[in-house]
Amino acid sequence: MRSHHFQHDEPSDILRVAVDAGRLMLEAGAETYRAEETMAGIAQNLGALETESFALPTGIMASTVDIQGNSISTVRRIRTRSINLEKICKLETLTKMSGRHTLDSLERELCIIETIGLYPQPVPFFGSALISGFFCLLFGGAPLDAVCSALAGALLNIVRRWLASKRQPDFILNIAGGLYAALISALLVYASIASHLDKTSIGIIMLMVPGVTIVNAIRDLISGDLVAGIARAADAFISAAGISIGVGIGLQIWSAWVGLLP
Amino acid sequence: MGGTFAMNYITDALWALFATCGSALLFRVPKKELFAASLGGAVGWVVYLLVQGSAHSETVAALIASIAVAVYAEVIGFLKQKPATLYSTCAIIPLVPGAGMYYTMFEAVQGSAEKAWATGFATLSIAGAIAAGLAIVASLTRIIKLDGRHFRKSRGD
Repeated sequence: MRSHHFQHDEPSDILRVAVDAGRLMLEAGAETYRAEETMAGIAQNLGALETESFALPTGIMASTVDIQGNSISTVRRIRTRSINLEKICKLETLTKMSGRHTLDSLERELCIIETIGLYPQPVPFFGSALISGFFCLLFGGAPLDAVCSALAGALLNIVRRWLASKRQPDFILNIAGGLYAALISALLVYASIASHLDKTSIGIIMLMVPGVTIVNAIRDLISGDLVAGIARAADAFISAAGISIGVGIGLQIWSAWVGLLP
Repeated sequence: MGGTFAMNYITDALWALFATCGSALLFRVPKKELFAASLGGAVGWVVYLLVQGSAHSETVAALIASIAVAVYAEVIGFLKQKPATLYSTCAIIPLVPGAGMYYTMFEAVQGSAEKAWATGFATLSIAGAIAAGLAIVASLTRIIKLDGRHFRKSRGD
């Protein structure tokens, strides 16, 4: 018994749309099982047979079969990953409703969802200030430490965006960010504006630390996506390594050339 | 004495709320959901503090707090008909051991392997506890939702 869609839609087209939805999910920072469920749901609702997908944080492999039983496959690379919850939310809803869509309307909806970017400036600027300032307070910093941390954090957001626009890899961004966090907080404490070096710098560093990545890595491992989980954990450790290399260099520079750490 | 104790919780909850709001802005939470997402961060942090105060274990506190966050996210998601991940991703931000990851690698970069192992182990167990809490609630929700569907079908709705 064939679904009525299957008479019109080529399996290769169905596969392309399903994998596109999965790619958007992963690019928006969704967990692996969520991306695979999205692809399976869309492919099933459009009437594809025997669709299988294998998603990793860095790419998707998927295949389906046509009516003669020939297998069709596709590979899609994922190069950018930034958490975008509105995208994930819209894609979830679209997948649930995909039974009522045709292939063309589904493709149109996906194009619209793809254009949802992160919030434009100055929203990330203020968001970063909130994170740095209030994490500094949460870790026990003084009010003045929090103000310093918030300002430095907001500035870091702009610098990182600028570096990212120059196509620098995340590792370099993290080293630069760690270096900046250590030097600026040492400077602020030296000028006796802030009072705690550790609390001021940790507020700034909280902007870069891979907390959600390491939790998602373990969620992948728990749900049986072993390769994806290990890949995500490696991503988290490399990010944390970049930040700490930056901070380490910053503290060395300060103690070597300026004097003892405050 | 009791008054200052309660005050500490209230101020901490406020700081967690604003910090979560900041990450919600960076993660592009839709404007209408900003407050619900930020409130989740405060809920998780207060539960974390309460459990840590009585159980004296960061890992247990992280587990219970992430279960609280996940239940909160599922309930709000059900009421507003949105995916729960919209609320839980932001609300775990104060709990996630981002700072722990940083301290682990910092000790490693400084060359103190033993300290790096100790902090790394503590960090991974906290991350594991949070992930386990989220997974447990997700599984329970799946069971409840499937049962609900079955129930409606059998009544012929």
